[in-house]
Amino acid sequence: MGVSSALVFGNNEYGLEIAKNVTHKYKHITIFSLDGVDVSSSGDFKIEHFDLSDNWDTLREKHDIEKSIIFCALNDEAKNIFLTISLRAAFSDITIIAMANNNEDANKLKMAGATKVIPIVETTANIITDMLKKPVITEVLHSILYQDSSLKIIQAVVKNAELFNEQYPADIEWSRDHGVLVLSIIHDDMSQEFIYSSRAKHNLIKNGDIFIAVGYEEDLKGFKKFIGDNS
Amino acid sequence: MNYFIRLLIDFAYFLNTSVWYQKKRRFFYNLLENDEYKYKKYFDIFMMILIFSSVSILIYEVKRDAHDLLNLFNSYIISIIFFIEYILRLWIYSSISKVIIHQDEYSDLLDRDFNLLFVINRVFKDKIEYMVSAKAIIDLLAIMPFFHELRLLRIFILFRVFKIFRYAKSFQTFSSVLASKKFEFFTLGMFALIVIFVSSVLIYVMEANNPESPIDTLYEAFYWSIVTISTVGYGDVVAVTNEGQFVAVIVILAGIAVLAFTTSLFVSAFTEKLDDIRESKTIQDIAKIKRIYIICGYENIAKEVAKKLMDTNFNIIVLDDDVTRVERAKKDGHHALNYNPGSADSYKKLNLDISSQVRAILCLREDDVQNVYTALTVRSVNKDVKIMSLLMNSANRNKLLSSGANEILYDKEFVGLVAREYVGQPVAFEAIHALRSENSNIKIEELIVTDRILNSIATVGELDNVRFRVVLLGIHKKSKDRFFFNPIDSTFLEVGDYLLLIGNYMFIREFSKYLSKKVQTKA
Repeated sequence: MGVSSALVFGNNEYGLEIAKNVTHKYKHITIFSLDGVDVSSSGDFKIEHFDLSDNWDTLREKHDIEKSIIFCALNDEAKNIFLTISLRAAFSDITIIAMANNNEDANKLKMAGATKVIPIVETTANIITDMLKKPVITEVLHSILYQDSSLKIIQAVVKNAELFNEQYPADIEWSRDHGVLVLSIIHDDMSQEFIYSSRAKHNLIKNGDIFIAVGYEEDLKGFKKFIGDNS
Repeated sequence: MNYFIRLLIDFAYFLNTSVWYQKKRRFFYNLLENDEYKYKKYFDIFMMILIFSSVSILIYEVKRDAHDLLNLFNSYIISIIFFIEYILRLWIYSSISKVIIHQDEYSDLLDRDFNLLFVINRVFKDKIEYMVSAKAIIDLLAIMPFFHELRLLRIFILFRVFKIFRYAKSFQTFSSVLASKKFEFFTLGMFALIVIFVSSVLIYVMEANNPESPIDTLYEAFYWSIVTISTVGYGDVVAVTNEGQFVAVIVILAGIAVLAFTTSLFVSAFTEKLDDIRESKTIQDIAKIKRIYIICGYENIAKEVAKKLMDTNFNIIVLDDDVTRVERAKKDGHHALNYNPGSADSYKKLNLDISSQVRAILCLREDDVQNVYTALTVRSVNKDVKIMSLLMNSANRNKLLSSGANEILYDKEFVGLVAREYVGQPVAFEAIHALRSENSNIKIEELIVTDRILNSIATVGELDNVRFRVVLLGIHKKSKDRFFFNPIDSTFLEVGDYLLLIGNYMFIREFSKYLSKKVQTKA
């Protein structure tokens, strides 16, 4: 089931930045304003109101919740947690990404059912310290991860394992053969191994493994095609 | 006479403009007076060694005959060194040439004759001002043993001990702390003096005519008073008459009061000055550090940044005008000062050479107004230092850029970017963040290409990184200021290029060592 819309709860600068950054991915983006507060400067996004009364019928009528990704970005931390727990109780299978001010709140949000928590202070501090400690790496990774550069990082599922002829990942010259660098492999149990780790060196490539690869867009497309990932 | 005055003025101008002379003068000033000068501590240690050896020889001589060489060393060599030091201090205390030039300019301006008498008077006053200072008197007395034939003057060697005050910083701190309570100590001293005087007279009157009393003279009465008021009470001289014992009770009570008052004065002086002492100690410690990051403001994000930087041995200083936040920073183990980051004076007080010692200044107040103000202040103090500033409201981005910030750190944007990547490639996102995590064994590191590496490795193909299980993500070419992903084997390396490596940190370390080793083997 594909996710086609994003519902951002919190009509504030965080909500707006999130909405701006996911426009490329979702056809419909709606920002929800709690109790009609902070309804200004929402840009081009559709604004709707909501309250914490736990009545999601209106939301259900207007949006296909099951096909949506939800961002909880209310400024008030307690209300944000309450919103997360309410949404999780009402919709057990949806993806909820919530913002937290600190680690303590991040734990509470996870307990409340958030799929992924973005701790604001830690994320910001990490980016700042990375910029100071490893400026070159940070710049490169920043462009790979966040900017529209031709260099990308992808995850690709192996579906043609037989092509590798029972080879180990570390023995394949990825860059020479495919023009990409495979950094790590995620096995079906979701454990992640670095390409040159001892475990990866002793595990044959099999269908269902996920490769995390870096490369130029064209090379990555060719690589995905080669391993049978048509997504 | 006019010719002599002209000669004097010309000579003064010559000295004032002579690079050699001014350089020498500055050198001696730094050596003798400037605590920040790196060689001063060695000079101080040298002088302290001389002082202690001199006193040691004096002690040795009390019951033994010292060797002639020791006497020569003690009486002449040390004395001559001290004499030279005394003259140098007298020289640098005030500039005669400046007084002459000032008087000449003044005379020219008012179209008057040069007043030589005024110059002599002014120079004399300046030099006398130095000569009558306590430290200069001690210095002079310490030279006296030079005239060792006068046996009495040998005791002046003891004055050399007092010279230690000049070189030991803790003594200076101690005396400056006590000086802050000058008035209170004066009041206490006066009170003690009056009590001692009155009680000495009283006890003398009561006891002197009693044949059984050990107090027979006014000197003994004075001695008894001092011993009693200080609460020492040796017991060798005691009052025997009823009247004398009554005086003793009064003096004992007064003694307790004096002692309690003195103790409380010491305690309060140190308590009040403790913060100043700590602050000056922090500034002294900071002055020696290089590659400093100054964090302005210590709120949530700043706290987290400071912690992460400290964990990787970065040198950081926290400046905040809020006492509570400064205390929190100190508790977290940082060098923190209660200075306003928005005041240029704060950076002057830090006594840092910002261009050479400071890597970046981070304006991390969670308030755009404060960050703009701080960035502007920093930029007014130093044009080149890198300023990174937190942005809380996107509407203020241009204001921050205009105020001189080089990089803007907008937390909402960071959150947006993280969300973007997460919805795009969640697994890849987690993988790349795992690489950057502090707790992960797999690291992404940058290794700079040095001359040494380049001596034996010219191209990417020669790096042999795969043998070390290290992935070469790419090269950041210094000459082109551009990142080259997955470079081909024939790519040439240049000094200053960065190799971006991914792998187990142990293997990256081994790989890095291997590159150096390869150079050594060749050499």
